[in-house]
Amino acid sequence: MLRVLLAKDLRRALRNPLPWLIHLIVPLAMTMLLGLVFGGHSESNALGRIRFAVVDEDKSRLGDLLRTAADQPRGGRHFQLVPMEREAALREIDAGKISAVLIIPTNFMSNYLSAREPASLELIKNPAESVNPAVVEELLGAGVTALNAISHNFSSEFPQWRPLLEGKGDYSKAFLVIERTGLKIMLEYKDYLNPPLVGYEKESPAAKPAGKPAAQAGGSNGGDTSDLFAYLLTGFSGMFLLFIAGTANSDLYSELRLHTLERYQTLRDSLAPMLASKAVFAVVLLLLCSAMMLGGGGLIFRVHWRHPLELMVLTIGYACFMAALFAVFVALMPDERRAAVLNNLAAMGLGLAGGVFPPQSLPAFLREHITPLLPSYWFVNTARNLQDGGAGAAWGWTAFKLAALGAVLITLAAMLLRRRFQAGLRT
Amino acid sequence: MSLLRVEDLSKTFGAIRAVDSISFEVRPGEIYGLLGPNGAGKTTTISMLCGLLKPDAGEVLVAGTAFWDDPQKAKSIMGVVPQELAIYEELSGRENLEFWGRMAGLSSREAGSRATELLEALMLTDRAKDAVNKYSGGMKRRINLGCALLHRPQLLLLDEPTVGIDPQARLNILEFIRKLQSAGTAILYTTHYLEEAETLCQRIGIIDHGRLLAEGTLSQLQERLGGHRVFVLEADFKGTSPELWPGFEQRFRVIQKTERQLVVAAVGERDPSECLKDLLGLPVRAENVTLKRPSLNDVFLQLTGRELRE
Repeated sequence: MLRVLLAKDLRRALRNPLPWLIHLIVPLAMTMLLGLVFGGHSESNALGRIRFAVVDEDKSRLGDLLRTAADQPRGGRHFQLVPMEREAALREIDAGKISAVLIIPTNFMSNYLSAREPASLELIKNPAESVNPAVVEELLGAGVTALNAISHNFSSEFPQWRPLLEGKGDYSKAFLVIERTGLKIMLEYKDYLNPPLVGYEKESPAAKPAGKPAAQAGGSNGGDTSDLFAYLLTGFSGMFLLFIAGTANSDLYSELRLHTLERYQTLRDSLAPMLASKAVFAVVLLLLCSAMMLGGGGLIFRVHWRHPLELMVLTIGYACFMAALFAVFVALMPDERRAAVLNNLAAMGLGLAGGVFPPQSLPAFLREHITPLLPSYWFVNTARNLQDGGAGAAWGWTAFKLAALGAVLITLAAMLLRRRFQAGLRT
Repeated sequence: MSLLRVEDLSKTFGAIRAVDSISFEVRPGEIYGLLGPNGAGKTTTISMLCGLLKPDAGEVLVAGTAFWDDPQKAKSIMGVVPQELAIYEELSGRENLEFWGRMAGLSSREAGSRATELLEALMLTDRAKDAVNKYSGGMKRRINLGCALLHRPQLLLLDEPTVGIDPQARLNILEFIRKLQSAGTAILYTTHYLEEAETLCQRIGIIDHGRLLAEGTLSQLQERLGGHRVFVLEADFKGTSPELWPGFEQRFRVIQKTERQLVVAAVGERDPSECLKDLLGLPVRAENVTLKRPSLNDVFLQLTGRELRE
């Protein structure tokens, strides 16, 4: 039965291929647009490293420490720290060549270690940019917090450290200072530091394999290879595919318009096979579209999908859910124009709240209570975790959940549509 | 035993009672016509008979079994031709027939051979491979009809199958329906065309505002008017009241009265020439008197007070 229904739809699509071709071209166009907006590909780090200047007027070891930290392999991938004089740095910022200037004022280290006066750093942000200066500010905020924490807990050690850091101490006795501080750390802070008292998980609770501890900060497996464009593509795919699913279900409306759904009901008692065939057709279309977006996008951005098979299975699950969801909308709202509005609202809502943007940027209530319940978030989050290499076996469970939800929704759609027909649905 | 039996069927949409306690039956090899104007409740009735709509009250028995006890069994016995075309325009005539045959439960081979038979019977063999959107209106109607016949239904429900087509195409379809009847298929035929009901149907039910007003053979319905003939008297009837004329109500029954026309039937078995003499003796200046066999329109007129064509 399903085969016959699908063969019929395939024939119809082949005889009138334009609408379906548009469905396929749209995601490719969207992906290309994304490529244009975000510029090129990921291998060359197309968004660029965040370039900022450090003006070390203190000429202290702290400036050296900052430079060394920024030159570390991980930091160096994202930041380009350029030592400069103040005037040169201001010229650079005026010319838009750097995102921010961090100024370490004279006596900063001295004030910090002696605690006689407040030690203050100065940050000048490039007003022509929005994201990069904000990132530098966040980074500086984290650094300042760390310096305050050290000051709070180790101020008693500072008198011994100060001469060494200022280059005036007896280096032959440096080991005594190091040993003394080390002992304090061992005795007083060992329980807090090893293992770290506070960490963070890279995986969502849903994606975390049962019984397996989450990856800890600094120990995330594969975090280094995470890709901004893969992140963006999965998010945008999660939303754009919803729009396409809404359009793909328009064929169900044509069955209503053509009265063929009525004729079908005069022959068969159950509507489920007809709806299932439409869902399967929509799933196939969505898979082609996702191949265009993720595959084509992958080529454009040179994203290396680390788990393509798993991603495909996950996308099948998501496509099942989407096709079934919009079949329910058809059953709820037989008026095609009204349904189109509902489809777009649903696609936008599910897409925006479900992972196009980083969940951290969503309002707290949405982020904590709504987003985790959204199937679009299950898909996007699991796909991102897959790409980060941290999802483990969770992709299978997520794909199953999405497909099972799709089956439930298709059954619901069949029941609703049948009930509406029996109550006197007319198109 | 009747193939279709309808008992006190009712359906209400909000405040509108679309079908109001109608009962009738369709016997094997019979064409039963459901005649009524647009909006009379014909399509709603058919929709309830084939399971598209659930009735609010009443029962539908298909081959002796209540429809809703086993809907799939009932559906396998009946074929339904909806009023609107219900075919895929991108597919060819053959593909449409084969597809609906498969939906009716036929195997691929059965559907193929049956489609060939039907294409021939419907005189569409030479256009079998063309997409339906290239067919004329009449050809589309024929394919629409054929799609309900793949599984050789014993009972065929036809909802105004000739709406919107030219006279020649209509004649072709009516001829095809007669062939189906002669092959033993029981047919419920809804229409608002008087001529179709008169020439095609063995028994006719007249429906208006959801109620079955009368049913029977054409003769039986004509009998309701008191005989096989009615008189049409043309004169100036403005301001007149025939019922007040002495002896008029004992001799004639008024079917319709307008300012220019009075349609009457004779009461009892009376000689036409005697009736004619009586009509010419009425207190109006008769301009013309016509004797004719009463039509279904006259019956409808008598039952509802308005013409079916209105």
